[in-house]
Amino acid sequence: MTARNPAASSATGSIYDLGYRHYEGKRNGRAYAMWSLFVEGFRGVWGFGRPMTAKAAPFILAGLYALPAAIQLAFSSTISSRVTASDQMDLFAYGNYFQRLSFFLILFCVAQAPELVCRDQRYQVLPLYFTRAMGRSEYALARLGSLASAIFLLLLVPTAGLFVGDVLMKPDTFKAIGDELPKALPSLPANALVSVCLASLSLAISSFSPRRAYSAIGIVAYMLLMEAIPAAIYSVGQNAGWDWADKLFALTPITSLIGGVFWFFGEPLTRQDFNGSLTSGEYLAAALGSFVVATAVLLFRYRRMPA
Amino acid sequence: MALIETVGLTKHFGSVKALEKLDLSVEPGIIGLVGANGAGKSTLLKILLGLLAPTSGSASVLGMDSVRETRAIRHVVGYMPEHDCLPPDVGATDFVTHMARISGLPRTAARERTAEVLRHVGLYEERYRQIGGYSTGMKQRVKLAQALVHDPKVLLLDEPTNGLDPTGRDEMLDLIKRTGTDFGITVVVASHLLGEIEQVCTFLLAIDGGHLLQAAPISFFTQRTPVLAVEVEEGADRLAAAISARGARAQLYGPGVLVAIESDAIYDAVRDAVADLALPLVRIQQERGRLEDLFRDAAPTAGSPQ
Repeated sequence: MTARNPAASSATGSIYDLGYRHYEGKRNGRAYAMWSLFVEGFRGVWGFGRPMTAKAAPFILAGLYALPAAIQLAFSSTISSRVTASDQMDLFAYGNYFQRLSFFLILFCVAQAPELVCRDQRYQVLPLYFTRAMGRSEYALARLGSLASAIFLLLLVPTAGLFVGDVLMKPDTFKAIGDELPKALPSLPANALVSVCLASLSLAISSFSPRRAYSAIGIVAYMLLMEAIPAAIYSVGQNAGWDWADKLFALTPITSLIGGVFWFFGEPLTRQDFNGSLTSGEYLAAALGSFVVATAVLLFRYRRMPA
Repeated sequence: MALIETVGLTKHFGSVKALEKLDLSVEPGIIGLVGANGAGKSTLLKILLGLLAPTSGSASVLGMDSVRETRAIRHVVGYMPEHDCLPPDVGATDFVTHMARISGLPRTAARERTAEVLRHVGLYEERYRQIGGYSTGMKQRVKLAQALVHDPKVLLLDEPTNGLDPTGRDEMLDLIKRTGTDFGITVVVASHLLGEIEQVCTFLLAIDGGHLLQAAPISFFTQRTPVLAVEVEEGADRLAAAISARGARAQLYGPGVLVAIESDAIYDAVRDAVADLALPLVRIQQERGRLEDLFRDAAPTAGSPQ
């Protein structure tokens, strides 16, 4: 190729005659194909390999999600010398960070879940995948993995920020790590729970429309309605004496996740934040149930997807 | 071993019969799959790829069953769909590399193959630009590249010249021809344009309404054996019978009769038959057998070339 002048050759088409070599090398299997799709999806969620405009939404939202942790870190570092029992004043802690900032996380899902699955439907890329060594379920699971790990990473940043901040503020760093670690560690399974639940839910909804806008509306509508409806029935039920009404809170996507997160930290649920009588363990079970159902819906959807 | 084989292949979509008891056996080469829109070409390709399950009957590619050995088939098959299938916001290089990796090629091999294949289909500096800015011709090239990148043994192309201008079409056909002849890859080209099939293919499959109309080497259709078109105002069927009775091969077609000129005696036979029946003769014309003749009666909607 280097020996030829590309401009001259492309004009005549003679550059075609360079000969074709067959590929005799290694061919990997399904796991590799899934891994490749996972990596592409993970990069895609963050807008890598796409134009700069595609990076704006994920990074801004991730920044907004981490911002309160950064602010708290900055403030407490300036006043830490005067405050000894800093735990008492933490507005944002490992356990309640998601509760207070879940809004940005939902926005992240609304913006990026359609990016993963609607694009391939809209531009009809799916037949190219399905005519390769890529099964429909494998495709769906790889996409789920991409979004879940992107959300996990997003959650990890402020968690790590809080941890580093708290450790550095203590005079004895090594002792501080020992003290802080047990408090921070439940964040990992809690973040994982939030990641897989939100990812499966938003992907399952997104996969039903090739249009980003409809998918986004669908996710928002589901999240809001499923928060509002149980609350409405519960408030009616309190007057009517329906003692089953508070069980409906298990259907809420966000509240049940918040409750599930509290389970990992072993904190009791305050009646101020949680109506009804469900325990954090029951919320955790509800969140896991929603993950299973959403994943099943996603897989079912791709099984039936025309290609 | 037959390249593609179908036995009693039937596919119904509700009440629509896309394929009806199709029996095929195709040898390697460049195979033209011709039929009007809706004749069942795409359906056949999708069944071969395992994207659709047949209602009944079976299909196989290189001896592998399309239902039970779908994965094995997909490793050796490249598919270029009829519709657009490219995301607009990535570059051709990134996209084709990604598709190569999905096909199982390791990272470096995927990059090398992509560069090679994109060069082969004639994409140069522009391959780093976003696909959304490409012309239709360039997009078709990328589609072909992604089908070739994992070095398949069989290439299934669904309407590869869709939307191309005459120059682009000729280049695409040339590319297909070289893919088939120089690289030893068997190519199945589905098209409703007979002129294209005539240009590049070695073997022709004509399907219409889900039935096999004709399957034969292309030379069978375009061979030099001249044909005499005898046009009469009426009584074409009687004429055909009379000519056949004189030992010539005659076939009804449109307003007249086609007679294969196997020897000079044929001219006499035609003359005598017309004279004996006292038919109003319009013209007698020598023609080379052409592919459109296949469809002239069977599928009036089939596009004629040029």
